[in-house]
Amino acid sequence: MTEYTKPLPTITDENREFWEGAKRGRLRMQKCGDCGHIRYPISHVCPKCLSYNFNWTDLSGRGEVFSYIVFHQLYNKAFEKDIPYNVALVQLEEGPRMYSNVVGVDNDAVKVGDKVEVTFDPVTPEVTIPRFKPRNG
Amino acid sequence: MHPLRDKTAIIGVGASPQGKIPGSTALSLGVEAFKRALDDSGLKKEQIDGLLTMPGTTAPEAALNYLRLGETLGINPRYTGSKIMGGGTAGALLHEAALAVNAGMANYVACVFGDSAATGGSRFSRASGWGDSYAIWGFMAACANSAITASRHMALYGTTSRQLGEIAVACRKHASMNPNAVMRKPITIEDHQNSRWIVKPLHLLDCCLISDGGVCVIVTTAERAKDCKQPLVLISGMGQAYTTENMEREDWWYVPHQKLAVGDAYKMAGVGPRDIDVAQLYDNFTSSVLLWFEHGGFCKVGESGPFVEGGRIQLGGELPINTAGGNHSESYMEGWLHIVEGARQMRGECGVRQVEGAEVCLVTGRGQALNCSNATILRKG
Repeated sequence: MTEYTKPLPTITDENREFWEGAKRGRLRMQKCGDCGHIRYPISHVCPKCLSYNFNWTDLSGRGEVFSYIVFHQLYNKAFEKDIPYNVALVQLEEGPRMYSNVVGVDNDAVKVGDKVEVTFDPVTPEVTIPRFKPRNG
Repeated sequence: MHPLRDKTAIIGVGASPQGKIPGSTALSLGVEAFKRALDDSGLKKEQIDGLLTMPGTTAPEAALNYLRLGETLGINPRYTGSKIMGGGTAGALLHEAALAVNAGMANYVACVFGDSAATGGSRFSRASGWGDSYAIWGFMAACANSAITASRHMALYGTTSRQLGEIAVACRKHASMNPNAVMRKPITIEDHQNSRWIVKPLHLLDCCLISDGGVCVIVTTAERAKDCKQPLVLISGMGQAYTTENMEREDWWYVPHQKLAVGDAYKMAGVGPRDIDVAQLYDNFTSSVLLWFEHGGFCKVGESGPFVEGGRIQLGGELPINTAGGNHSESYMEGWLHIVEGARQMRGECGVRQVEGAEVCLVTGRGQALNCSNATILRKG
């Protein structure tokens, strides 16, 4: 196995549940303990009501492609073999949006509005990256 | 009537040589721009008592740039500071200067920017994200944010890449009429279509330049400006707005803050889109320009694609934009030259690219990951 050289998260107390969840095959985000808002990016405070109370909650992993772009320009040498690769802004069913990649399909086959579901890509023994694949219905 | 309408004036503008300037630094280019603007204004250096700066990407002192530049110029100001908002900085500092002179905190404020991004190796390839970097998924570089906007605008409204090309073609045509522009060879829509993909749906010719250069704009009150050397250019309206939440705001990609910024500027100036004779619209990528037409009320939501067709935004058209070539073709001074060209159009000194009879100009700025926006209405005095 070749070494994984692309950017990885720095696991901290704040984001550990997200990345541990991914390792267990769960897409998890923080749900505010007061107003119930599910937030992303990860933060110690709710951007809606400023509450510090929250619980990590499992999401369905289902969503839609909100916007979709394909990188042809190389900005980071670690992605050299991936070019051209896609990045999707995914609208998750429960409300939040996140950047990820749509995998298992040609770049040109994906369009805005396509339904997708999460899939998990173990890239190192420590880190599993949530990506998305097309889903029917 | 808004108390600041027409109360401020731009009395001096200056730009260093632009493009690739070997041996230059952010500091040296800023100094050269300051000297030229000072000369343009007819002021003496000792009269400058306000200094507002934007650190270039290659300025090692970053947010302490105001100290570095102040020391180099030998200016000990009553009012100073630096701001870092990318392409949103020029307008924000111009507005701050206007507030400062009207509050009596300073009499003559020089706003200065210098950067050696071209020869200094800035790639504008940073990934956004404060905690986990979005580079984990390969999302990085300034172009990506605008590509997100372009992709969704195309999907929702049927906007085409050829329509984006109209903006690049207009900027280049205008640059061809500007001896100081970096890219002066006219291009066609086909050239745009045939240029390589950068971040699809954006081609190379959808992207601005990366440039060395410096720009300076000197501001005072409208009252003091009456005694100055140049024809009077008034700041009639100002507006700023920001969307800091990239992910949490569903409409972040549509830069809703731009509508607020232009709306506030119109309101202060007492004008609307029909009053605008010429516009200098922030153009880091062509897709950014489209949204200015929608948020500025020149066309309806989703209709900016067809709006830019048929030469409407070229000199001689209904709404000429970026008459010096913009970030795309004049030089990538992060919107600073948009203010300079706006002021020159209001002075009526633009020669072959002068918009005849122009009396009101809209100048816009936009920076960071689509986050920062501002709008200024300039008026011929």
